[in-house]
Amino acid sequence: MSDIVLKEVSKSFGTVSILEKVSMHIKSGEFIVFLGPSGCGKSTLLRMIAGLEQVNDGEIYIGGERVDQLPPNERGVAMVFQNYALYPHMSVRDNMSFGLQNVGTPKDEITRRVDDAARMLEITQLLERKPAQLSGGQRQRVAIGRAIVRDPKAFLLDEPLSNLDAGLRVRTRLELAQLHNRIKATMIFVTHDQTEAMTLATRIVVMNNRGIEQIGTPMEVYSRPATRFVASFVGSPAMNFLPVSALSDAGGQANVAFGGQNSLQTAIPASGLGKGQYTLGIRAESARITYGEGGIEATVDVVERLGERTLVYARLSDGAPIVAEDAGLSGVNAGDVVRIALDGKAAILFDESGRAFHAAA
Amino acid sequence: MIRNQRREWAVAFLLVLPFLLTYGVLFVWPTIQMVQLSFTDAPLIGTGEWVGFENYIEMFDDRRFWTAFNNTAYFVVLTVIPNTLIGLAIAMMVSRLKGWQQSLILAMFFLPYILPVSVVYRIWNWMFNVQFGILQYPISFFAGETINVFRTQWMFMPAVALVTIWWTCGFNILLFLAGLRSISPDIYEAAALDNANRWTIFRKITWPLIWPVTALVLTIQLILQLKIFDQVYLFVQGGRPDPSMVMVQYIYTMAFQRNQGGYAAAIAVALFVIVIVFSVLQFQLLRARGEK
Repeated sequence: MSDIVLKEVSKSFGTVSILEKVSMHIKSGEFIVFLGPSGCGKSTLLRMIAGLEQVNDGEIYIGGERVDQLPPNERGVAMVFQNYALYPHMSVRDNMSFGLQNVGTPKDEITRRVDDAARMLEITQLLERKPAQLSGGQRQRVAIGRAIVRDPKAFLLDEPLSNLDAGLRVRTRLELAQLHNRIKATMIFVTHDQTEAMTLATRIVVMNNRGIEQIGTPMEVYSRPATRFVASFVGSPAMNFLPVSALSDAGGQANVAFGGQNSLQTAIPASGLGKGQYTLGIRAESARITYGEGGIEATVDVVERLGERTLVYARLSDGAPIVAEDAGLSGVNAGDVVRIALDGKAAILFDESGRAFHAAA
Repeated sequence: MIRNQRREWAVAFLLVLPFLLTYGVLFVWPTIQMVQLSFTDAPLIGTGEWVGFENYIEMFDDRRFWTAFNNTAYFVVLTVIPNTLIGLAIAMMVSRLKGWQQSLILAMFFLPYILPVSVVYRIWNWMFNVQFGILQYPISFFAGETINVFRTQWMFMPAVALVTIWWTCGFNILLFLAGLRSISPDIYEAAALDNANRWTIFRKITWPLIWPVTALVLTIQLILQLKIFDQVYLFVQGGRPDPSMVMVQYIYTMAFQRNQGGYAAAIAVALFVIVIVFSVLQFQLLRARGEK
């Protein structure tokens, strides 16, 4: 078993605090994604697990063993760096063998492991080349191969796809998912790209502002965000946020007044809601253009035709912006006055601190 | 964009012209003159009779020429590789420091390099002075007596080599430091995760990656040290110059003290050829090794 446990881990550079009391339990074989904006400390956290950064406070366990005071090589983890960090003067084979040579692995064992990994990653024909003779995608594979041959307890991947072009990124993403299915190793993947997080993760750790906002499966994070930050960071387009003018209890569930004369019956239990200013959150797919009766009125600013669906950027009567969805072959044009039907069951309320209130699960 | 090629060439030529003129007048022409002169029996000033290869034949039979050649070669052996290795070692230590500490230490190592040779001579002559030189304390501790280092034949070249390394090391440190900085820190982190210890990291990562800089430093050093003159000339003052004579010094003696311009030119040509052959050969060899 190679669970990774973090207990109240803190890090600061000088007087600048980067991470404060971060705790989590990563189960063996999980594909965990650290997701967050630049500067949220996600790479630092990964480097602390790897042993490349000192932990100021707290404890890190890998496979039951406390490792936060151990040097990187004694933690049994392998890392794939953002720019791959291949040894430029060594051939691909030497790059992959280096770690095994250093622990005195027998030569034929090294050859066997490198050949196996190369076959798995389809880089056998590149083994005698130098990194400079490889494309970005090939270097990426070599970096992963270098990690695989060491048979580590966990793979740490620091934004490994960010240097690839869009098409290759999608392909490599898929291959990474397949690789994880095949070798069933614990993987921690750092990214600021929510699509990568959603498609790869067993669980996503959303980070912001020196700490963890939410840990959950991709669909939990998407449909039941714990905070307003998570709601705005995950999902494209970002969730709509509409200031709530009044809250009332309608049969135990909150009824929300917003945007002038509009109101929406939600499925959120009213009992948990106190006084104060709330914000209504609703995703574009739960705000659909309707051509019949009902819905709220809005004036269209911009129409984005994405093929299979159309995004309509509009304004409510009080000027609040809202993004709604329509069918791919939508007839809506900029300047039109449309009606938008909101799905109250999918609505979320956020209090002033950003905490989310959901419909009962 | 369509350009007027002829016009561009004209502008380019005009811009290069001042350099070409200076280079031609101050380097190419004197070099040709020197080669011509080496085939004559000219004195220091004025022309001489054409004597063919006589100067060169004489040179090969000249015991003092061979002394100068051997001394120069010995000096090169004493300085080039040690100076390069010391430069690399210090650069690696300095590169571990950060911020102002690094700047301060680097400045301290670089400071001697900006001193003129006469000042360097003064400093070290004092330090080695038999009566009040500070270095006589360790010397008498180990040797049991004070030693006049620059008057002791077997100590002369190593002592001058030591002074030269102290004097010129700063520049090598600077080159190596630039080279070390160009190695991505990620590579060292990857090596740390790859179970490499410090010695392995140096042997397998730093040394091969810094090799182009090492080759450059070795070549610069070789050219510089083959032309050794000032230090030997200064430190030998008051002693017997002949046994510690180096090639440039011999050229100087022949031309300016013995008034044998033609012969001095022949030795100068020999040195010129040695410098060219050795430096080109060395650089190519080193580069080839690095690419292997």
